[in-house]
Amino acid sequence: MHILIVEDDQVARDYLAKALREAGHTVDVADNGLEGLHLASSVALDIAIVDRMLPKLDGLALVQSLRATGRKTPVLILSALGEVDDRITGLRAGGDDYLTKPYHMSELLARVDALARRGDSGNSEANTKLKLADLELDRMTRRVTRGGKKIELTAREFQLLEFMMRHSGQVVTRTMLLEGVWDYHFDPQTNVIDVHISRLRQAIDKDFDKPLLHTVRGAGYSLREDE
Amino acid sequence: MDQEQRFLGVLGSSPFRISMVYSIAFALGAAALLGAVYFAVSQVVDGSTDNLIEAEVQGLREQVLVLSRSDFIELVEQRSQDQDVRGAVYLMVDPQLRPVAGNVPAWPKIAADQGKWIQFKVSVPFGDETREHEMRAQRFPLPGGYRMLVGHDVQERQDVKNLMMRGLIAAVVLTMLLGLGGGFWMGRRILAQAGAISAVATQIMRGDLSQRLPVRDAEDEINTLAREINGMLDKIEQLTLGMRTVLDSAAHDLRTPLNRLQATAEAGMRQLAPASPERRVLERVTTEVDHMRSTLDALLRIALAETGTVAREAVDLSELVASMVDLYAPVSEERGIRLESSVIPGVQVQGSRQLLAQALANLLDNAIKFTPERGHIRVFLRQAGSGPEVIVEDDGPGIPADKREIVLGRRVRLDQARKLPGSGLGLSLVAAVTKLHGARLVLDDAGPGLRVALKF
Repeated sequence: MHILIVEDDQVARDYLAKALREAGHTVDVADNGLEGLHLASSVALDIAIVDRMLPKLDGLALVQSLRATGRKTPVLILSALGEVDDRITGLRAGGDDYLTKPYHMSELLARVDALARRGDSGNSEANTKLKLADLELDRMTRRVTRGGKKIELTAREFQLLEFMMRHSGQVVTRTMLLEGVWDYHFDPQTNVIDVHISRLRQAIDKDFDKPLLHTVRGAGYSLREDE
Repeated sequence: MDQEQRFLGVLGSSPFRISMVYSIAFALGAAALLGAVYFAVSQVVDGSTDNLIEAEVQGLREQVLVLSRSDFIELVEQRSQDQDVRGAVYLMVDPQLRPVAGNVPAWPKIAADQGKWIQFKVSVPFGDETREHEMRAQRFPLPGGYRMLVGHDVQERQDVKNLMMRGLIAAVVLTMLLGLGGGFWMGRRILAQAGAISAVATQIMRGDLSQRLPVRDAEDEINTLAREINGMLDKIEQLTLGMRTVLDSAAHDLRTPLNRLQATAEAGMRQLAPASPERRVLERVTTEVDHMRSTLDALLRIALAETGTVAREAVDLSELVASMVDLYAPVSEERGIRLESSVIPGVQVQGSRQLLAQALANLLDNAIKFTPERGHIRVFLRQAGSGPEVIVEDDGPGIPADKREIVLGRRVRLDQARKLPGSGLGLSLVAAVTKLHGARLVLDDAGPGLRVALKF
């Protein structure tokens, strides 16, 4: 993937570029908003990672200008501000996802992955039937089967599985789940998400040989077919 | 219904009440003045006719002594014809009450025991028809059983008095109507202005500091007041903006180095073998960065809530409480705690969904932390007297009554909590968020345990 990083903090920018290159991406960098906008409008990008406070042109203004020219490049906004409703302004300006500093690289990589693959996976928003190996989920009838056997899920477990299936093959972090399934943006002190996941795992993996729901150490979870 | 309420609202408004008091006072004044005029005029008019009659009676009494009966009859006839019948009236009757002379057709049927003055009605021609006219008269006996009646037509004076009385009533009624009408009009005007002001004030209290009170192009008190309040709002908006800028730059100046620290530690870890002691040191660094981050998040959220610089929206409190219970149910069950809830549907508040969720999460985190195994946590959303209230109750150790005020302060952790993880900011964030939403935070004994109530 071709990724643009617009970040004025050199330490953060260098590490970010390095990590993304190690993950196999092509990376362009800019240290101010104007240069960032110029690059974003001239190069075919898969994703732009934009810091919110930038010299010369503010990050939000950059995203707005980019959207005004009709570019739909997914944008991940990085912010060092007070949060709460800054997230809303960031997303309203045209950002697709929002991450507050300091962040873990694993969190950022997971979000970049999710943004890049949004819409192009077989399990996109529009599909009413989601499928992974022998696991099937029907959004219309709210029926879940594995290997043809019906699986009983609570409403919330169903939502959780739906979210995981839509991101199948990707790493999904706890905060992504809290945001995607519950629409909350905070870090719970207790491991609330882990317990929900372990219940879901009980339901879909317990009676089957090949587990589908995997824990990714230090990052989150992944629903995928292979080991 | 709405119109009726608006109408009643106008009746209750102060301009209407004031003008009602004034119009009653003015009406009473008008009634007193016109009443005095009425009384004086009646006195004069009544008095002058009565004097006239008295003089005439006196004259005739003297004449009857010196004149023969036939001369007297002639005199009476003469006097009757002299006068228009609407003026003076005379009647002389014989002992059988048959008219002998005069211009009144018949002796009035009047009880004998009436005083000196009598009043009776006589039909008089009035154009083509006749009208009943009021007469006022005196009677006196004549020699030989004859009787005499001398009086005057008082219909005109009655008409004048009636007209005056009607005028008086009309003036009082008109004063009242004008006063009430004016008061109603002023009341509506003021209410319309006050309504516009309170509508904007509500929006401002909901956090939209860019709103200003409507000001009309007039120099009355309300407009002056509105202008001054607008000036005050400018100041508040400026201060709030300044506060927000300070918060944002503080956040930026703390988050940026923390992010660098995290990046540096992570970059270092990538180059080290998984179990090496150096890597473990760096892992500890990132753990501390996480702690600092959550403390910073909590502090910033408290500051945002306390300065009120958070965007507000309609929040479905029922959905929020239910979904928070749903989020925490598995983790409490795993710890052998029963999480029970009772949530009434359809409760809405104005505020920040994320901050309310964070506050509720803090309460639930606390409750789970302090509730022993096989304990209970109860969450309620219910309608109390003044509004909805959210209650989180546990049967943990609770907080002693004398320490309840203290724990709401920043970074307070009671002894028993020192060994448990947490920043000590949990309840102060709850307090700040509660205040932001105009609610009250009440800590209470759940006997045993702690009951926290957010009263909206």
